[in-house]
Amino acid sequence: MTVAADAAQQSERLREMVERVVSALDLEAQVDVRDDGETLTATVSGDDLGLFIGRHGETIDAIQHLALRVAGGQGDDRRRVVVDASGYRERRARALCQEADRAADQALRFGRPIALDAMSSIERRVVHEHLRDYPGVDTYSEGDEPARHLVVAPAT
Amino acid sequence: MKELLEHLARALVDDPGAVVVEQFEEDDGTVVLELVVAEDDYGKVIGRGGRTAAALRTVIKASAVRRNRRVLVDIVD
Repeated sequence: MTVAADAAQQSERLREMVERVVSALDLEAQVDVRDDGETLTATVSGDDLGLFIGRHGETIDAIQHLALRVAGGQGDDRRRVVVDASGYRERRARALCQEADRAADQALRFGRPIALDAMSSIERRVVHEHLRDYPGVDTYSEGDEPARHLVVAPAT
Repeated sequence: MKELLEHLARALVDDPGAVVVEQFEEDDGTVVLELVVAEDDYGKVIGRGGRTAAALRTVIKASAVRRNRRVLVDIVD
């Protein structure tokens, strides 16, 4: 199979899976799938997507994990898969970055490492990248999934 | 709920034809969904550290909330 055909098939598998979940949750929502070559993103838009997102994003993160297994490909075809709903990921990223700034500030003030709450690998990446340019602190991950979390420490 | 679990399991495994979901109801009204897949596909529905099984349960539970039901997903291996 050609690369393009493969990519189209991954997009289609992702769309079908997310649409099935949307309909099983009886939601009136539209599913759009975008492929920028590196990341496949399924965005759900509609009213009242609380059930799709779940408490602390538990449900949308579970859907995203399944989506990666179903449509993320294997070996050389592996890609990132993101499932989003009405701007949720952006709101969440903003909240995570605020938390990260607070932790960085404390790490410098108290001169010791500060642990953040457990996060998914995608969320940890957001925070690592956010703090990369923060002067005087390093970040690393600790612990095992699903309790794996980020630590912000004074730079050594 | 049953249809969703069937669909998700078929999308995850190498042998979708072997996916079977049996539905029971307990006395307290809890719906039990028993998932059977091909011998070699259990790793696909359980995942590293049980992450995929946990994700399946979370999504099926969300669909049960919509129906005011309690649901248990049992992966039979």
